[in-house]
Amino acid sequence: MKVEVLFPELCNLYGDTQNMKYFKLCLPQAEFIETALDEEPTFVKEDVNFIYLGSMKERTQEKVIKKLLPYKERIKELIDKNTIFLFTGNALEVLEKYIQKDDGTKIEALGIFNSYAKREMFNRYHGLLLGETQGIDIIGFQANFSFSYGENEGQNFLNLKKGIGFNKEKNIEGIRKNNFIGTYLIGPFLILNPIFTKYIMNLMGIENPELKYEKAIMDAYETKLAEFKNPKIK
Amino acid sequence: MKKTFKFYISLWGAKIVAGMLKILRKNASFLPGKVAITMCKNFLGIIEKPEIIIGVTGTNGKTTVCNMIIDALEKCGYTTINNRLGSNVDAGIASSLINGATFLGKTKKQVAVLEIDERSSIKIYPYVKPTYIVCTNIFRDSIKRNAHTDFIIDIINSAIPKESKLILNADDLICCSIGPENKEKVYFGIDKLETDVEETNNIIRDIRTCPICDTKLKYEYMRYHHIGKAYCPKCSFKSPEADYLGTNIDYKNSTIQIKTKNNITEYKLISDNIINIYNMVAVIAVLTEFGIEAQKLKEIFDEFKIVETRYSEEEVNGKKIIMHLAKGQNAIACSRTFDYIKNAEGKKAVMLNLDDYFDAKESTEDIAWIYDTDYELLNDDSIEQIIVGGVRSKDHYLRLLIAGVPEQKISYELKEIDAVDHLNIKKVDKIFILYDVYTVEMANKVKTKIEEKIKQS
Ligand SMILES: [Zn+2]
Repeated sequence: MKVEVLFPELCNLYGDTQNMKYFKLCLPQAEFIETALDEEPTFVKEDVNFIYLGSMKERTQEKVIKKLLPYKERIKELIDKNTIFLFTGNALEVLEKYIQKDDGTKIEALGIFNSYAKREMFNRYHGLLLGETQGIDIIGFQANFSFSYGENEGQNFLNLKKGIGFNKEKNIEGIRKNNFIGTYLIGPFLILNPIFTKYIMNLMGIENPELKYEKAIMDAYETKLAEFKNPKIK
Repeated sequence: MKKTFKFYISLWGAKIVAGMLKILRKNASFLPGKVAITMCKNFLGIIEKPEIIIGVTGTNGKTTVCNMIIDALEKCGYTTINNRLGSNVDAGIASSLINGATFLGKTKKQVAVLEIDERSSIKIYPYVKPTYIVCTNIFRDSIKRNAHTDFIIDIINSAIPKESKLILNADDLICCSIGPENKEKVYFGIDKLETDVEETNNIIRDIRTCPICDTKLKYEYMRYHHIGKAYCPKCSFKSPEADYLGTNIDYKNSTIQIKTKNNITEYKLISDNIINIYNMVAVIAVLTEFGIEAQKLKEIFDEFKIVETRYSEEEVNGKKIIMHLAKGQNAIACSRTFDYIKNAEGKKAVMLNLDDYFDAKESTEDIAWIYDTDYELLNDDSIEQIIVGGVRSKDHYLRLLIAGVPEQKISYELKEIDAVDHLNIKKVDKIFILYDVYTVEMANKVKTKIEEKIKQS
């Protein structure tokens, strides 16, 4: 089993890299490949089971777009082939149509998805989020300079119960197409959501997956979930 | 800028507010300035300022550096305006200038020493143009407020006055990217240390590739996070040479030499903590640029005691209790503190009380920062016990497990004070109590309970 972590030397904001550190503890048999920006991604020439990309600085987004653009068709093919992708924070914007900057100019992105991002560097949003997918409650935090707009019908990752998600107008969060999962949630997403982590391990073909530190991680999840469900907590 | 009628009204209004706050014994370091700026938008630009202004900015160490500069200048007979007791945003700086001005808005002091919040740069630099700006370092800070280092650098660079002389940390490449158009820059740094390494394991290293050609940077030596001496193996990019280089640090005899182009001077070392040694070298750099002779500076540093507001130590029946401020939600400050504890002598217990005071009261704290923090440093044979207290203790417990700390070494309680019950005094020589800026009161209660526990054992 192969897990490819894209550009961890650059795409590592907000504790995002720990998703893969923890995932490795749960999957001791899997091979984890860390690909740097000046290397060719492993997924280009061979199939991998899971591809991760974490939060990055805005200038890095442009570098990552430039890097991945030649592999657009390959990424589409992998999504169609049900390869599992997890893109956290602003990583999902790399695959949208474009990112619009404060001054109105646009950074053309890969355009695999039809939505686009609008960035406002002086309007930072930070808040908690509660959502649901496949009957699993998902919790987490968002920290954005940008939100996503445009056509995303039927391709959302979460149904929103609390928080903002994709943008302030719609009650949805993230992008889900086949096994591509893109979420604005930052940081230790898999650690915050152990049931969903198991779900992903299931998708990878692991029957009865076991989480590392299962008791502690479930305890932390249930405590936090109860807080998130409390209407007083915003 | 010309003094307007509006300016005088706001100045007097602010002075009245300040006077009233003083009578009520309330802090007058923010509100008077806020009143003045609200009434007169370019108040900061109009009010007279001392001829020399020293601005101090950067992620960590601003307050310590400011305090040392102010004390040193006052020892040399200068009078200063400063914001050491108050806020470092525009209203705080305005309050300090109001306090140091006459009723006609004329300045009463010779030098202004101003701590400047990085994010407030845009509101301050258009009006206040420091003669010197010291930047201690630029690190990742609060996720909520500071996002990432590019964001902070862009804010600073969009406003920094081009005429200011910059005093930058040569060992911090991010700090060195401040003021690309400033002509006058000097650098301070610390020479290779025995403890330096070729590669650090720190989670956060915010510059890893060459800003010119994107090649992975190499290091002559690395200290922690992105601090060290770097070069690009492909192009000519490299860390600048330090004009003020701390070298030959002798911890045993508490001395450090500062090497400049012209001479080498030996100073008393004011702290064994590398962070404070950087602060010390930064102060020597700015004060030398200001014009104070090395010999005079040496005399000043001989008498200096660093006022450790962040650290206090006491001994009860042979056991040391150490209170250490760790600045929650700041992964770098906590990682540095963990490193300090790891390297401290003896067998240790650590009381982790890092919950954010406000979030604990009314929200759920975003704990992403603990995954940016090197909890792995606490996984050390010399640390016998780690006891977590607070509403987020289950998260810290899990983080410690992921860091590889053996389960039997960790305990946790939802209330900080209850966590003390888990402490096994017999096993340790030192007990570290880590706490956040707003939780001093709670930390003191924890300390008292530990003292009683030691006395009873
Ligand atoms: Zn280069």
